[in-house]
Amino acid sequence: MNRLRAPGFPEEAVRRRARQGPAAGYPPAADYGGTLFGADPAGPADSAGSGWAAGHAGADQLDAARLVPPVFMPQRLEKLIDLGREPTHRDVELDTLIGGFRSSLPLYVSAFGSTVAGSDLGLAVSRQAGELGIPMVIGENVVPVAGYGRLGPTGDRSLLARLRAYAGAAPPGLGGVAVQQSTEDADAEVWNLVYSDPAAHELLASGRLAFELKVGQGAKPGLGGMTVLDADTAARLTGRYQLDPIFDGDGSGSGSGDGSGGRVLRAATPGTYTEEILRQQIRLMRNNFPEARVWVKLHPARDVRDAAAVAWAAGADAVTVDGAEGGTGWAPLPAFAHVGLPLAECLLRLDNRSDCLLVSGRVWEGTRVAKCLALGARAAGLGRAALLAADEDPDRGLLRFAGCLAEELRLLVSALGKYRPAALGREDLWWPGQPPEPAAAPAAAPDRTAATCRTEG
Amino acid sequence: MADAIPPPPHEHLRNPATRHALRIQSTLLDGAREYLSGQDFVELLPPIIGPVTDPGGRGAKQADVDYYGHPYKLMTSAILYKQAALLAFDKIFYIAPNVRLEPMTTAGTDRHLAEFHQIDVEAAGASRDEALGLVEGLLRHAVGRVVAELPEPLAALGRDPSALLDALEQPFEQLSHAKAVGLLHGLGHDQSPDSEINWSGEALLSREAHRPFFVTDYPKGSRGFYDRESATEPGLLRNFDLIAPEGFGELCSGGERESSYPRIIARMRETGENPAKYGWYLDAVRQGIPPSAGFGIGVQRLLRYVTGLAAVWQVSAYPKLPGMASP
Repeated sequence: MNRLRAPGFPEEAVRRRARQGPAAGYPPAADYGGTLFGADPAGPADSAGSGWAAGHAGADQLDAARLVPPVFMPQRLEKLIDLGREPTHRDVELDTLIGGFRSSLPLYVSAFGSTVAGSDLGLAVSRQAGELGIPMVIGENVVPVAGYGRLGPTGDRSLLARLRAYAGAAPPGLGGVAVQQSTEDADAEVWNLVYSDPAAHELLASGRLAFELKVGQGAKPGLGGMTVLDADTAARLTGRYQLDPIFDGDGSGSGSGDGSGGRVLRAATPGTYTEEILRQQIRLMRNNFPEARVWVKLHPARDVRDAAAVAWAAGADAVTVDGAEGGTGWAPLPAFAHVGLPLAECLLRLDNRSDCLLVSGRVWEGTRVAKCLALGARAAGLGRAALLAADEDPDRGLLRFAGCLAEELRLLVSALGKYRPAALGREDLWWPGQPPEPAAAPAAAPDRTAATCRTEG
Repeated sequence: MADAIPPPPHEHLRNPATRHALRIQSTLLDGAREYLSGQDFVELLPPIIGPVTDPGGRGAKQADVDYYGHPYKLMTSAILYKQAALLAFDKIFYIAPNVRLEPMTTAGTDRHLAEFHQIDVEAAGASRDEALGLVEGLLRHAVGRVVAELPEPLAALGRDPSALLDALEQPFEQLSHAKAVGLLHGLGHDQSPDSEINWSGEALLSREAHRPFFVTDYPKGSRGFYDRESATEPGLLRNFDLIAPEGFGELCSGGERESSYPRIIARMRETGENPAKYGWYLDAVRQGIPPSAGFGIGVQRLLRYVTGLAAVWQVSAYPKLPGMASP
């Protein structure tokens, strides 16, 4: 019996991938020879409830875009010359650099915050993300709510338990953990705690520890993190955080509302930022934690380009932008639909060509990842998809799910005549209504020695 | 070359080198008190715990205290209390114990202890130049007393008293942070212009020097919110470090302090702090605290320099190295 639900997200398709791995990226093998398959761009995300979908869930600007392979493929010729045989999608190399970490895939696991869903599956996700060798972000609020886990028994939800689960499974030299801290987390000194902890030293010494400054998030742009606390936890945190008894109906504490059993809302402050505050906070992070990488997470803000530019100029190793489609945590209902820029618009405004940009927002299959990479992202973050996959199978679900996504990416990247994810570019995308490119003279075969294909992510 | 790990107390405290160092420490502190009292400073007893403490450590964690259910901290430095103490007296000092749970990356510096003491000085209305003068005067007086009164322990430790006196005799040179960065780049050393001088860079500068010297004008983004930003050179702080020669490294940090409420709030945000937890301090600032300058001299670091011992743990009676459970 699975517990997690994700309305509006292609949940069944994710679960199928978590069960079947790469096979889930194809139509059911049993249907071969007996079913006619074809494009159905307007079709449902989850055909007949089988969990098989072609990646057209929902409808946003990224969904509307199509990946458009050319006929002439100079980079395929380079690969052909390298290999001495015709390349296939198996020759696509998906490893890349993500925020200072080497990653096996252009993917990372986004922060879950302290939502109960994220906490319960945190260890399963951590272990599998480590085994995959992809970076993982540990969200804000985890230490204030679930504790660090150093004194006394290490609770499964604690930050230290997740760090250990990840580090214990990660192959040498691959992956890394980014620990988030928000403005209110500063009170718990999360970064100081991790940076000074002997248990985290191996990750630090091997260059696989980052700290992510949480400026904002996709699900609640302009607001801080929100946590629904049970009565016991609320009693423990009273006086330290602003706790709102909104679930009792009239806020009086009289219990006349929806019978939420004393649960309260903790709404963290988002923190105040100006250009100078952001710049100096990043500099101080580099100053105080010289051996850790510095990541900065932005909400899908109208000035996202300016904010990212400040962050990179101040020395951030990665800027993460969470599109308005993103989020795993609890959020006020209006924000789901009407607040924040869609991910595609963020990518277009950022127009990134060279810096390490990470993006998240309803990412669960290969085409959306490939489109993000073509629009300048270095990697895409898995939030709900990672949780659902681990929920489907806490031992292997995320591993199989990522295997399916990697298979799709190899197919898509090679279809575009490219063999590294970073080689994707805007020329690989087309939107409805976009005028055709002017006709160009046929290009001469490239000189292999002058190849400019980027070899790093 | 010191052992990497301190021996147990029974062995360490009976070691002649430890006993010489602790004898010298007693005279150093006596000399510091004598000098500061002569300058009309009032010695106060330092607070040990509080709801907030100095957030300015380089990756060091504060030690938490459960104070009747309230999360309190052991003092990492008394800076906030020093500023408030100026409401009572214009010139104050503490000999203050501090605890900083330093990161494991400090294990190789030979000058980090998780528990240490500072000669913590603050003067209302003082400028940075006046603070620099005080540091020089204090060191000259206190070390002068050691040289005059304790030649035998110094000789037993192999420390040449005349070299110490010679090093302290001349005014200490001043080097801006920007120039220090330039020097390090000239030596082929990687050093960010926006950050503190890194441990290895500091060791390099210290080894090249024959006398103590000040590094001034650190960039904003390398220090806590309380170091005052220059009004004429925005982005630079009116602060300083004192670096000892012979590779002994930093002995002291100080500077002019921010005292205006809106400036302190803005600087708190620039240093990633949540102002809400600094309630008592901000209340005091809002009602008015005097502008000031001051500094903290690391007692064990100064003692290591004076004794010439290789590692700072050798001069502490109960040394606590970062990450190591010790008595």
